[in-house]
Amino acid sequence: MGTTPTYSEPELIKMLKERDNHSFTYLYNNYSGALYTIILQIIPDQDLASDVLQEVFINIWRRIDSYDPTKGRLFTWMLNVARNASIDFLRSKSYQNSKKNQELPETLPLSVSGQSTHTNVDGIGFKKVLLKLKVESRTLIDLAYYKGYTHEEIAQIEKIPLGTVKTRIRTALIQLREHLK
Amino acid sequence: MNIQEYISSGIVESYVLGLADAAEKAEFERLCAEHAEVRAARDQFENSLEQDAFTEAIEPPAFLKDKIFASLHINTESSLPVAPLPSSDAKVVGMHPDGSRSALRWMRYLVAASVILLVGSTILNFYFFNRYKEYNDRYTQLVASQQQLAANNTTLQAKLQGFETDLAIIRNPDMAIVKLPGSNVPTSPAPTSLATVYWNLSNKDVYLMVNRMPEPASGKQFQLWALVDGKPVSAGVFDTQNATVLVRMKNIPNAQGFAITLEKRGGSEAPTMEQMYVLGTVKT
Repeated sequence: MGTTPTYSEPELIKMLKERDNHSFTYLYNNYSGALYTIILQIIPDQDLASDVLQEVFINIWRRIDSYDPTKGRLFTWMLNVARNASIDFLRSKSYQNSKKNQELPETLPLSVSGQSTHTNVDGIGFKKVLLKLKVESRTLIDLAYYKGYTHEEIAQIEKIPLGTVKTRIRTALIQLREHLK
Repeated sequence: MNIQEYISSGIVESYVLGLADAAEKAEFERLCAEHAEVRAARDQFENSLEQDAFTEAIEPPAFLKDKIFASLHINTESSLPVAPLPSSDAKVVGMHPDGSRSALRWMRYLVAASVILLVGSTILNFYFFNRYKEYNDRYTQLVASQQQLAANNTTLQAKLQGFETDLAIIRNPDMAIVKLPGSNVPTSPAPTSLATVYWNLSNKDVYLMVNRMPEPASGKQFQLWALVDGKPVSAGVFDTQNATVLVRMKNIPNAQGFAITLEKRGGSEAPTMEQMYVLGTVKT
């Protein structure tokens, strides 16, 4: 694939919606690493993360027609497909059961380490930025972004008012943006 | 609403990262459409997020690519450019794996073959039905003619049997032959008439052969008489039409001659002498 041309995002989207196989190859070659890293941040086990990445690409290929470019970039859409698939997997019965059977301790927020097949992604990208936040903000972002809880659920878990949850998450997000710049 | 305040409230990040609830999303999308600044802020955050994701990204295992492409039936080795499908068809056809597409093509061939077979079968059925009708008609005709032949045969057999019986009578050595010509009767209404009597001298049975006799008028019938010691004795009436070769008459024990007269139908007690047609004497 050495001669693969570079496509602009509108070109790529058009080709994907036309079911052009080459566009999908291009998509995989360019985005699989970024999406895999996002999945690993939620599911540190590489084998499980690989399974989810496969599901994510299949979903992208099948649901490309539901992507609306007016609502954001292609990568943002794929990022959310990957994040949602990862959270759905975390909540799946089979994953919950396997966790109980292995008697692994609850994964502590932002402190994934130990298992050989696990990848420490704390130092990478978005998560690295997250580490710069205050602990209380970090916990809320972890629950909202990496665990997929709604603000109402977080208010119950953390036993703080819903308004406070919203305010703290918004504040944390503004800080994230500043660090990303 | 102050747009700058809105933009810096964290809603942009919340929306892009998928953390906004439905009402927030709807409002953000509406404001995005209305305000270029909101769109610009969104684009900016998305770009920085995307760039961040690409830095130090971890590559997935190499085997995963083949696995994913195989599951989607996409050939990664193919270097041939694939012509984009018409976009109207793409949603429908493109989703089909290659296997089901070729299955579809085979189904089309199968349907076409079935239609051809059906048409062919219909034509053959029609042809064979016509042939069947033709042969059935011929068979019916053959049966009819065979029955006709069998009937004719029966008639001929009966006729032949009649002839053989008559021939056996004539061949009998005890038979006396008495010719009755019209020329023997000066007053005969038909002098060229001729009849022959076959008289079995042992059992005295009498048979008559009509050689040449005129057709009697309606209500009239010829009557054979035996001349016994100068007296006429009736030997019965006969028809000249539809007669067999020999007509069996009454048994006559003794006679010197035979004569035929034309009488009323059913015969008379005594012969009408002026209506005598033929006459012959027995030569012993």
